[in-house]
Parts: sequence; structure tokens; C-alpha cells
Amino acid sequence: MPSLFQLVLQIAVILVAARAVGFLFQKIHQPQVMGEMVAGILLGPSLLGWVAPGISAALFPPASLTYLNALSQVGLVVFMFVVGLALNPAELRAHGHAAVLTSHVSIAAPFCLGGLAALYLYPRLSEDTVTFTGFALFLGSAMSITAFPVLARILSERGLLHSRMGTLAIACAAVDDITGWCILAYIVVLVRVTHAVRPAWITVAGSLVYVAVMLVVVRRCLPVLERAYRRHGKLSDNLVAVIVALVLVSALATEWLGIHVLFGAFLMGAIMPKSPEFTRYLLHKFESVTVVLLLPLFFAFTGLRTRIGVGGDSTIWFYSAIVIVVAVAGKLGGSMLAARLAGAPWRDAASLGILMNTRGLMELVILNIGLDIGVISPAMFSIMVLMALVTTFMTTPLLEWVYPSRLLRAESGETRQNVA
Amino acid sequence: MLLVGLPVLGLLGILEAGRTLAAPPSIAGEWTLEFGSVSNCAALGRLRQPALTISQSGASALITLNDGHASTLEATINGPTLTAKSLTHKSLTAAIAGKAGERVLDGRLTLEGCAPASFRAARRAPSTKPGS
Repeated sequence: MPSLFQLVLQIAVILVAARAVGFLFQKIHQPQVMGEMVAGILLGPSLLGWVAPGISAALFPPASLTYLNALSQVGLVVFMFVVGLALNPAELRAHGHAAVLTSHVSIAAPFCLGGLAALYLYPRLSEDTVTFTGFALFLGSAMSITAFPVLARILSERGLLHSRMGTLAIACAAVDDITGWCILAYIVVLVRVTHAVRPAWITVAGSLVYVAVMLVVVRRCLPVLERAYRRHGKLSDNLVAVIVALVLVSALATEWLGIHVLFGAFLMGAIMPKSPEFTRYLLHKFESVTVVLLLPLFFAFTGLRTRIGVGGDSTIWFYSAIVIVVAVAGKLGGSMLAARLAGAPWRDAASLGILMNTRGLMELVILNIGLDIGVISPAMFSIMVLMALVTTFMTTPLLEWVYPSRLLRAESGETRQNVA
Repeated sequence: MLLVGLPVLGLLGILEAGRTLAAPPSIAGEWTLEFGSVSNCAALGRLRQPALTISQSGASALITLNDGHASTLEATINGPTLTAKSLTHKSLTAAIAGKAGERVLDGRLTLEGCAPASFRAARRAPSTKPGS
């Protein structure tokens, strides 16, 4: 059993690395979270374990990773609640046809191309304990995800959050996230049912009952919390504890059903009342500790499982290139084409495609689930992590190229004049 | 409809086409070795059970010997055949047989200063899916 000293030391090293690399990435106009993800990779075998294997082994001995993983999983449960909380279905309704078309195509196109890539990658990077269907569906689903939180942060940093394109991108990403997680839940059930002791009908029937209870019963009770907030301008500690308990119970229910602990947390957040003040209050309550303390632990744990370039096998780089090209073509290309067909000008359509191509930490969450349930191999995991990093990294420079800040400022000026 | 329908139809076609594909056999896990004949070779005598730990990524694998030094051999899986070697002239070739849950390896292990030793290996802790 690792000592408390070692665990605290690990957390301290991870936090310092995350903040330092995050700061450096901000200097090159990348979102802080991108730097934190890279910091996690740097602490793993891809850099620290490669250049200083002794230090790496002393700092992160395999036996100690169980505790780090447990802490990071708790962080993810809260984070998924926060992601669900930030989703607002009303945003989709406000954009109608364009959002529906773009979001659906931005899922369908990369899903299909992911399946196509699976035809080539399955015989090379999978194992016979995984079915082709499970592998292809997982690959498609991992390629079609958009990192809603990172997207919101990039839009906010560029002052695009309340622009027409920004709100459209947020609406599309919200639909993508909901659809993506539903598809992923199905895949997890599909993969787990093959190996589970519990009969499949319990998982399927139980999931339907769970969703019905959440949407019909729990959702109708939740406005009580919002009313309490409105009365006092805040929630008491007891009511915050009630919310935490609800999140945990929901997470446990989905885990028991064989879906995954994160789906329950996500759904609990998604059905919370969506008044802006209440949502902001809860986000403020839950976000700080999660984002500052627990998410970097998740990035580090992911990094410790990722072996980019280790082993010197050049074919891995070739497979990585295929995955990156397919992911970008499907997500960026599909979203751009759909937005253009929905009537958006080329510049807006291309910007939307670039934004939807941001996968960020949501991709890492999905990939860790895939590795945990055994649907992807460690090599495939590393390739997909690299794809997540590349597609997230390319967002800001590509967006600056297609939609330069000077143009944005000029357009904002015009809008202000028109309003005046 | 067309923009969504076409990719979905394409995906269905891909899933159908993929049914005929075969992935490399799963061999990840810890393996216990039984040698066909008693050997006096010191390097073989240093092996402790489970003698092999295999980590696998598709058709590539890394075999770690439980010889006190954690010597590693880089391996490739080609159909039902496992071939592995290290920089220090250790090598292993084996036929992979049996279904995933009852998989066995039949082959030969060569260590420094030893004649090739034939062995039969059984997976000690089959690689169960963590989600199961």
C-alpha cells in the first residue's frame, strides 16, 4: 500500500506540472486545459518515464496508481455532473434547422468514417475478445464527440461566446454530447453484456426504468432546490449535500446497471433546473475543486496509461496519421458541409467545423472508458489520445486563420453601430 | 435526411463487411510454463511462475520474463503464431491454440547459454474485461 506521503507528493507534482504547462500554453494562445492535458502526458511514460525512468518509477509506482485513479474518478463523476449541468436544450431550439442538421451530420459523418477506419485498424490493433461491431462503434463514437467545456472556453476567450456562430457551435456541441453519450452507453452495454454475469435484459430494462424515473420523477422534484436558492440567494450546506448525494446515487445506479458510473452523473446534471442564475451558482460551487484539483489528476492518470512514441514502432505513427486524418475529415469536414448547406457563409461554416473538431478532455474520458472495458487496446488508446491532443491543439490557430481576431473586432464594431 | 442517412447506411454496410474480419488472438496476462524436459541450464532455472507476463496491443506484444531481471522480448502475433525476441538473443516462438478463455501456448523458449526448451503455457489469470 502506498504511503500517504507518496500520494500527497504525487498530487503536488501533478498540480504544479498542470498549472505550469497550462500557463505556458496560455502564452501561445491555447486554452489552459490543453496545457493540463499535455502535462499529464509529459508525466507518463511518453516523457518522464522515457528520460528519467528511475524518477518516474519512484514517483508513480504501479501499486500507487489505484489511489490516484480512485481520486481522479471521483473528480470525473463531479465533472460529468458539471458538464450535464452546463447543457441547455433550449439553446438548440433557438437555432432550429441549422443546429439540428449540423449536429446530426457532425455525428453521422465521423461515425461512418470511424467505422471505415476500423476495417483497417481492427485486424492490426484489436484482439479477438473484442467484436468488430464493438470496436467500430466505439471508434466512431470516439471520433464524433465534441468537447463541450473546452469549446465554450475557446469561444469565451475569443469573445465569440454570444456571437451567432458561437451560440450555434455551443448548441451543436450540446446535442453532440447528449447523442454521443447515449451511443456510448449503448456500446458499453453491448461490450459488457458479452462478459457480464448479469443477464442482458436486466441491463436493458433497468436502464429504461432508470431513465424514466430520472426524467419523470426526479426531474419534477428538482425545482424545489431552485426555489430554495431563489428564496435565500444561496443553497444551505445540507441542500448542497443533497445534490451531491443525488449525483452519487444516480452514478451508482448506472454503474450497477452495467452502463458506467459517469452516465448517471451526466444525466443528473442534464436534468437539473436550467435557470441561468441557479446554473451559474451550482457551477461555481462544483467547478473550482473539480477543475483545479481533481481533473489534473485524471489527466495525469491518462498520461500514465499513454505511451506516445515509446518502443520506436514506426507503424504506430502511420496508424496515428490515419486516425487523425479520418477524425478531422469526418468532424471538421462533415460539420462544415452541413453548416454550408444550412445556409451559413463559407467562413462561418468553416469556423463551425473547426470548433466542432475540438475533442479535448471529453475524448480522454471516453477513451479511458474504452480502455477500462477492454474495447480498445493500449496502443489504440495512445493513438486516440494523440488524436485528441492534435485536434484540440489545432482549433485555436485554425480558427484564427479562418476567422481572424481583427475581422471579429471589425464585425463587432459594425454590429454595435447598427444597434446604435 | 441524405446527409445523415447516407453515413448511417454506410456504417451499417461497414459493420456487415467487418463481420468477416479476424483480430489477433488475445494473449495478454500472466502465463505459467511447463517445460517438456528437465534442463540444467541456469537461465531457465531462474524463471519463477508465472514465468511470462504478456501485455498486448493488437498484433504487437511485450513479453516480460519472471527471471529476476524482468527481461523483455518484443513479440508479434501473426495468425496463430507468436514470435518474440530480445536484443540479448532470448527468443520465443509458440503456437497459440484454444478459445480465449482456455488459451494455451505451445512453443520453444531460448535463453542465453541454453538449448531451446519446448514448453506448454497456460494463462494463469485470463485477461477478463474490467467492466465484467
